[in-house]
Amino acid sequence: MARPSHPQAMTPHRPGSTRTAAPQVPDDFWTRRRMLTYLLFDATGLPYMLVGLLALRVAFALGRGPEAWARLMQDFSHPLYVAFHVLALIAAVFVGVRFFRLFPKAQPPRIGPAKPPPGLLIHAGLYAAWLGLTLVLLIVLGGLWP
Amino acid sequence: MAADSGEMRKRTFVVTRFDPDKDEAPRTVTYDVACRPDWKVLDALNHIKDEIDPTLSHRWSCRMAVCGSCGMNVNGEPKLTCKTALSDYGDVVEVAPLANFPIVRDLVIEMDGFMEKFQSVKPWVIVAKEKAAEQGTYSQTPEELAAYKQFSMCINCMLCYAACPVVAKEPHFLGPAAIALGHRYNMDSRDEGAAERNEVFRGEGSVFHCSYANECSEVCPKGVDPAAAVNQAKLLAVVDWAGSFVVERKR
Repeated sequence: MARPSHPQAMTPHRPGSTRTAAPQVPDDFWTRRRMLTYLLFDATGLPYMLVGLLALRVAFALGRGPEAWARLMQDFSHPLYVAFHVLALIAAVFVGVRFFRLFPKAQPPRIGPAKPPPGLLIHAGLYAAWLGLTLVLLIVLGGLWP
Repeated sequence: MAADSGEMRKRTFVVTRFDPDKDEAPRTVTYDVACRPDWKVLDALNHIKDEIDPTLSHRWSCRMAVCGSCGMNVNGEPKLTCKTALSDYGDVVEVAPLANFPIVRDLVIEMDGFMEKFQSVKPWVIVAKEKAAEQGTYSQTPEELAAYKQFSMCINCMLCYAACPVVAKEPHFLGPAAIALGHRYNMDSRDEGAAERNEVFRGEGSVFHCSYANECSEVCPKGVDPAAAVNQAKLLAVVDWAGSFVVERKR
């Protein structure tokens, strides 16, 4: 039914005279739908860390010359690498969507006398910027420009 | 009452009990209650206390979601029991004290830790120098009021603390309601104490413990949106810290 919370959670610095029972949380606290979404959000840190390590490997291969680069590209065509990159992309999209959803309310409601723009406009701006940057990256990395 | 009996539904309430004089740890007791269709969870608890087991302890007062006294975990979710209709639940309803708080007795939690955090954010208007009475009142435009009004609607029911995964793991964390209240005063055009509160926000119970799970705002019965306040406070605490290198603070 319940499991222990942190034993000092919400305890006062000076304990009262009455003996109290330790704080508890519901047993299924971490597996409720909203919490699962949040945990999934936090877990995306793992693919991000691995992508960071892969980026280092890319940089080293680039420095070691064409043979190392060709070997890396060959490795990247392995189904496991492809699967990982698809997973990393899904994680990035998931984090982006959640971040954009929460972004408008996390900002100061007003800067000076100006009223904040409506949430819908902020969302539209964020998605437009995301789409625009993705297109620019695709064009540059695809060799279409410059 | 007799006319309503046909509509009554029998429910089993699994209620957490704890007697500090007898029990080592909280336990659960079940009560079978014939509930009227319009009852809230609090009505059932009051019925249990009045008619079945007078030793049951729980807090309540206004019965209209204003006083914030009757917060409990209902089926694991922090709820104001006076606002939570039994018609939304099935035959078994679990009622426990608010999560993450020490339990004084049965469904009554210890609030002292909350009050300490609450006071630490200096929840009052701070002015460097009080105006003389003949200088008039501290006026405010509707726009200035709108900047903080939402955060002043908190009724201190503490549901947000019961829902917060950071409170469950980090005992120093100031927590959603206290930060929302401090932020409410930081956004108040009459206040001059933002630098003092931002120091508290950057201190031991730092706003930066918050990982934006947003659970506090999901359970808030008054639509205060403490997660918004906490995350706005993070940004303003950083801006204030950076500003302290440029502008010398008055003490």
